[in-house]
Amino acid sequence: MSNVNISKLKEIVGEANVIDSSSEMAKYLKGPGKPAVVVLPGKTSEVSSIVKLANEQNVKLAVGGAVVNTQGITGGIAMVMSRMNQIVEMDKLNLVAIVEPGLLHKDFILKVAETGLNFPPEPYEVETSSVGGCFSIGDSDSKSFEYGPTRTFLLGFEMVLPTGEILEIGNKCIKNVSGLDFIHFAVGSQGTFGIFTKLLVKLLPQPEAKKAVIGTFASLHKANATFNTLIKRNVHPTRMNLINASFAKIAKPGTEGQLVIIDLQGFKESGKNIANEVASVLTLAGGFDVKIIEDAVEYDEVINGWLKVRAELNAKPERTVEFVVGPMKMPQALAQLEALTGDLGAYPGIIVEGLLGYVGLALPEGTEKLALATKVNKLAMSLGGNVKGLLGHKLKAEVYNDAEMWKQTTSLLNELRQQFDPKGILSPGVSLEA
Amino acid sequence: MLSQTVVKRLKEIVGEKNVVTDKVGLLTYGYDGTLLSGEALGVVSPTTTDQVVEIVKLMNEHDIKLVPRGAGTNESGGTIPSQEAIVISFTKMTKIHEIDTENFVAVVEPGVINFDLQVELAKQNFYFPPDPSSFKASTIGGNLGECSGGPKCFKYGVTRDYMLGLEVVLPNGKVIQTGGRNFQSEPGYDLTRIIVGSEGILGLVTKVFVRILPIPRAKKTMLALYDKVEDASQTVADIVAAGIIPTTLELMDNLLINTTEDFTHAGLPRDAGAVLIIEVDGYPEDMDEQVKTIGEIASKIAKEFKVAQTAVEVDQIWTSRRSAFGSVARVRPSYGVNDITVPRSNFPKAIGGVLKVAKDFGVTIGVVAHAGDGNLHPLILFDQRNKEETETVHKAEQALCMMALDLEGTISGEHGIGLVKKKYLDKEFTPAAMEAFRKIKRSFDPTNRFNPGKIIDL
Repeated sequence: MSNVNISKLKEIVGEANVIDSSSEMAKYLKGPGKPAVVVLPGKTSEVSSIVKLANEQNVKLAVGGAVVNTQGITGGIAMVMSRMNQIVEMDKLNLVAIVEPGLLHKDFILKVAETGLNFPPEPYEVETSSVGGCFSIGDSDSKSFEYGPTRTFLLGFEMVLPTGEILEIGNKCIKNVSGLDFIHFAVGSQGTFGIFTKLLVKLLPQPEAKKAVIGTFASLHKANATFNTLIKRNVHPTRMNLINASFAKIAKPGTEGQLVIIDLQGFKESGKNIANEVASVLTLAGGFDVKIIEDAVEYDEVINGWLKVRAELNAKPERTVEFVVGPMKMPQALAQLEALTGDLGAYPGIIVEGLLGYVGLALPEGTEKLALATKVNKLAMSLGGNVKGLLGHKLKAEVYNDAEMWKQTTSLLNELRQQFDPKGILSPGVSLEA
Repeated sequence: MLSQTVVKRLKEIVGEKNVVTDKVGLLTYGYDGTLLSGEALGVVSPTTTDQVVEIVKLMNEHDIKLVPRGAGTNESGGTIPSQEAIVISFTKMTKIHEIDTENFVAVVEPGVINFDLQVELAKQNFYFPPDPSSFKASTIGGNLGECSGGPKCFKYGVTRDYMLGLEVVLPNGKVIQTGGRNFQSEPGYDLTRIIVGSEGILGLVTKVFVRILPIPRAKKTMLALYDKVEDASQTVADIVAAGIIPTTLELMDNLLINTTEDFTHAGLPRDAGAVLIIEVDGYPEDMDEQVKTIGEIASKIAKEFKVAQTAVEVDQIWTSRRSAFGSVARVRPSYGVNDITVPRSNFPKAIGGVLKVAKDFGVTIGVVAHAGDGNLHPLILFDQRNKEETETVHKAEQALCMMALDLEGTISGEHGIGLVKKKYLDKEFTPAAMEAFRKIKRSFDPTNRFNPGKIIDL
C-alpha cells in the first residue's frame, strides 16, 4: 500500500508540509516501519481532509506529536502534529486551557506555570512528548495519588474521527455526566478512536510551596522500607519515589546508591513539618546525604532527574516489565521479585513509585519478557496487583484460567475499534491483543 | 406479563422470595426520584454474580429486556421500567468483600449503601469521597451508574474518579473484569470509565473496586450569609481566584433557607438572601491561614461570616443542606429538580437565568447549588395533580437546560440523562458525538436489551 497520493496531500497542506525524501523524513520517525510520506497539517480541516484521503485510498495513517512511531505502517502516511502547537485559550477564571495537540508537553507546563497555574501530568518523554500524546497514552504517573491519573485533566476535545468527520465534545464544567463518557474513554485510546486536534484541559492553582526530601541508601530494600513507615505515619506526599543505583546516576550524577525522592507540593506550613518528619524517617532508616530541598532550581533538577529516568523506561516498552501491588506490599514484592530474578543490582535499572505500588524493571538484552512477566504477574496478583495494562489483563485471565474472559474482553475492544474505524485506517501499530 | 415458565426459572435461579410479580410489588419498583413511573414485568433480586449471569441468559433466550436498579433514588428516570422489561434489583448484593486501608482499596457489591460503606470505613479512619446528598439511601452501584457528584467534587472529583475496577456482566451473559485494584490495570481502552455513568445500558456491575482515602486530619466549616445570591457567587469566584481549593462551596437561596429552617431549626436567619457553606480540609497547620483568607474574602461582601466551632455546629449546617430537597414539600407537594452546570465564571449569569425563567413562566424556583463546580439545583415547586401547572413546569425545565447550554454548560452535572433529559441530549451534542455514543452502545449491546431507551436510542 504505497500508493499515497502525494500531490493531493500537497494540495491539502501546501508543498512545504509534505516530506517524502527518506533522509528528510527520518527526523520525524522512530520505529521499524517505513511510511511513504510525512505530512504536517496546520489545522483541523487539513487533518480531516488527510484522513478522508487515506480512507478513499485505503492507506494507513499513524500520528505523532513531534515524532511518529512507525510500528505497523509501511507505505502509509505519518502525520506529525507539531505545527498545531498553539494555546488557543488560557482561562484563569475557570482553571482551564484549550490547547492544540502538537504543543510540547514541557512547553505547555511552562506556559501554564507562567500564568500561576499547574498541569500535573508528567511528560512521558521529557523532550519530545506532546500534549496530544499525553492524553493519547493517558497514563498514570508518580503524582497520581494526589492529583489523579492523566484522564482527570481532560474536560473535552475536538477530534478527527477515523472517517474524517470532526467530533467536538465537552465543556468547561468540572462536573459533567451528560451522555456517555466518551471524553474520558478516549483518553488512552492511542489514536484508535481518532486524532485529537484540540484539547480542553483542566488546570489547578499552583501549590503554595514545593519542597523535596532526598536521601541515598546502600540497600534497595531498606530504602523502600521507608515508604511503609511514611504511609503508616499517615504521610502522603505528592511523590514517593525510589531509583536504584544504576538509574540514580542518570537522575542525579554522582549519586552512589539508591536514591529516594519525596516530593511535597502543597501549603507552606504543613510542608515544613512534613519535610522534617520525612527527613527523620529517612535518616533513621539508614539513609545518608538526607537533604531537604527548598531552592527552586535545585528542586527542579531533582524532579527533572526523575523524569529523565522515567522517560528512559518509557522509551523501551519491549524491554521493561511494569507491575503494581498494594503500596504496603512493596517490601514483599521486591523481596519476591529478587528471588525470581536474582540480584536486582545486575539489572539495567529499577524504579518504585511508592504511593502507587508501582515497579518498573528494565530488562537486560536477551531477557524473555513474556516468561518473566508471567511469573511477575503471579507474584503481583498474590500481593493485590498485577502486571500493568493489556498484557497484565491477559496474564490475569490466564491465572484465573478464564480464557473466556480474555476472549470476551478482546472481542469487545476490537468491536469498539471497528465501530469507530471500520476500514482500520488509524494507528495500525496499536494492538489490542497484547 | 411474564410466562409461567420464565417466572418458574427465575425462582429457581434466585429463590422464591427474590422474585416479585404481584401488582403492588411491581408498583413499588416502578418509581425513582423523578415524577415518572412505569411497571415492570417482574422484579428479580439476585444475590451473586452467577445468578446475574443466569438471569441475563434466561432473558436473552426469551427476548426480554432488563432494567437495573439500586435504591431508586436517582433524579434522571434511569431506573424506570419504561418499556416492557424486568427490573433487576441489586439491593440484595450488599456484601462488603474487603476493606484494605493499607492499600487504599475497598471491594464491594453494588447494592452496598454509600452510608453503610462510610460507616465501616470511618471505623478505620477512612472514607469514600463521593457522597451525593442521597448517600444515606443510595447504593454504590447506583452512584456508579449515574456517576454521582455531591458536595465535595471541587476538590475530590466525582464517582468516576474513585472507581478502580469493576466486574461486569455483559449483555451476552459473559463476565469481564475491567481495571483492577489500582490505576494501571485497564485493558487497552478504559472500560471502567465508559461503564461509570452509563446507567446500566452497557453492562450490569456485580463487583466494584473503589479507591478509599484516609479522613483528612483537619477540617473547617464556615458559613457566610448574604443579602443577595449574586453576592454569594462573587465570594465563590474570589476564593477560586485566590488559589484555594475548598472541599465544598454550597449555596442555598432565601426560599431554601426558609424551608430547611422549618424542618431543621438550625438557626439560619430567615431574612438572608443566600447562605454559602464553605469547607476546607487538610493538615491542621494549614487551616488557620486558609480560614483567615476565606474570611477576609467573604467579609468584603457577606453580611455575616462565621466559623463553626463545634462538631454539633458543623452537623447542624450540613443537616440543613442535606435536607434541602425534601424540605420544599411543605410548600408545594411536588418539585422538579435540575442539575444544570455551567463554567464557574458563568455561575452569576446562571443564577440570573434561573430568576428569569421563574419570572417568564410564573413558577416558584428555589436554588441549591454546588457553587464551586458551577452546578445548580433549581427546584421548581408545583402540584403534579394540576395538569396545566405541570405542563408549565416542563417548559420551564426545558428553558433551564437551554439557558445552561447558552452559557456553555451542560444539561447534567451529576444526575445523569436517563429519560428525563434524553430529549435535550442532541441540543448539547453534535450528531457526530451522538453517533459515537451509539457506536459504543452497539459494541456492548447490539440488540439493545440493557436498560433500553435510557440516554440514547439505537
